[in-house]
Amino acid sequence: MTAYWFLLTSVAMFCIGLYGLLTRRSLIRMLLSAEVIFNGALLALLSTASLSPAFRPAGGALALLAISLAAAEIGVIVSVAILMFRLRKSLDVYELRGE
Amino acid sequence: MNLQIEPSVIVFLLASIGAISSALLVIEHKSIVYASFFLAMLGASNATLFVLLGYPVVSIFHLVVYVGAAVTFILFSVVMMREAPLVEPKARGIAIIAAVEILLVFSVGFWPLLRSEPIGGVISLEDVSDLLLNKYSFALLVAALALATTMIEAITLARREVSE
Repeated sequence: MTAYWFLLTSVAMFCIGLYGLLTRRSLIRMLLSAEVIFNGALLALLSTASLSPAFRPAGGALALLAISLAAAEIGVIVSVAILMFRLRKSLDVYELRGE
Repeated sequence: MNLQIEPSVIVFLLASIGAISSALLVIEHKSIVYASFFLAMLGASNATLFVLLGYPVVSIFHLVVYVGAAVTFILFSVVMMREAPLVEPKARGIAIIAAVEILLVFSVGFWPLLRSEPIGGVISLEDVSDLLLNKYSFALLVAALALATTMIEAITLARREVSE
C-alpha cells in the first residue's frame, strides 16, 4: 500500500471537515468539523513522515505533541460552549457577534 | 490466475472507508451526541491507519488520549446542551466548490507519490521518547506549559458565574 492512498484519505477527511466548518453555525458542530480536519492533517503528517528514514521518528514525536495539544484545545472550546449555552441558551455563533 | 490480496490492503480499505464515512456522519448527523460518537469512530479508524504506517505508539496514544479522553469529554458535555440544526445555506455552494477543488489539487499534487511505499518497520516508544527528551525537549516544555494554561483557562471558564 503506497503513501498516496493514505494521503488521499487524509485529503478527503480534510475536505469533509472544511465543508462542515464553512456550512455550520453551531459552535459544537464547528468544533467537531475542526477535529475532522485535525485527524486528516495528522494522517497526512504521519504518511509523509513514513517516507523518509530521517524524518520518521520525528513525525511520531510531533504527532504525540499535536494529539495532546488537540485534546487541550477541545477542553477549552467545550468550556466556551458550556459558558455560551448558559449565557445565551443557544450555540449559534452568529449570536456571539450580536446578529 | 492467482488473485491474492495482502491483509494490510484489506485493513487499509476497511479503515479508510470507516474513517471517511465516520467523517461524513460527524458533519451530517442530526444529533450532536451521535456526531460525537462518530468522531470517536473516526479516531479509532485513524489509529488503525497509524498502525499500518508503522506508528503503534502514536496509535495507542491517539486511542487513549484523543478517543478515550477528549472525544468522550465532548460526548458527555454535549448531552447537557440542546442544539437546533444551524446550517448556513448561502455558504453551502462555496464550501462544496472549495472542498472539491482542494481534493482535486492535492490528489494531482500527491500523484508523484503513487509508487512511494512507506518505509517498513515500527517506531518504538524508546525512539519517540528519546527524541522528545533530547532533541525536542523545548517543544515538550512549551507543550506542557500550554496544557497547564489551557487547563486553568477551561476551569476558569466553566466556573464563571452567570449573572441573571
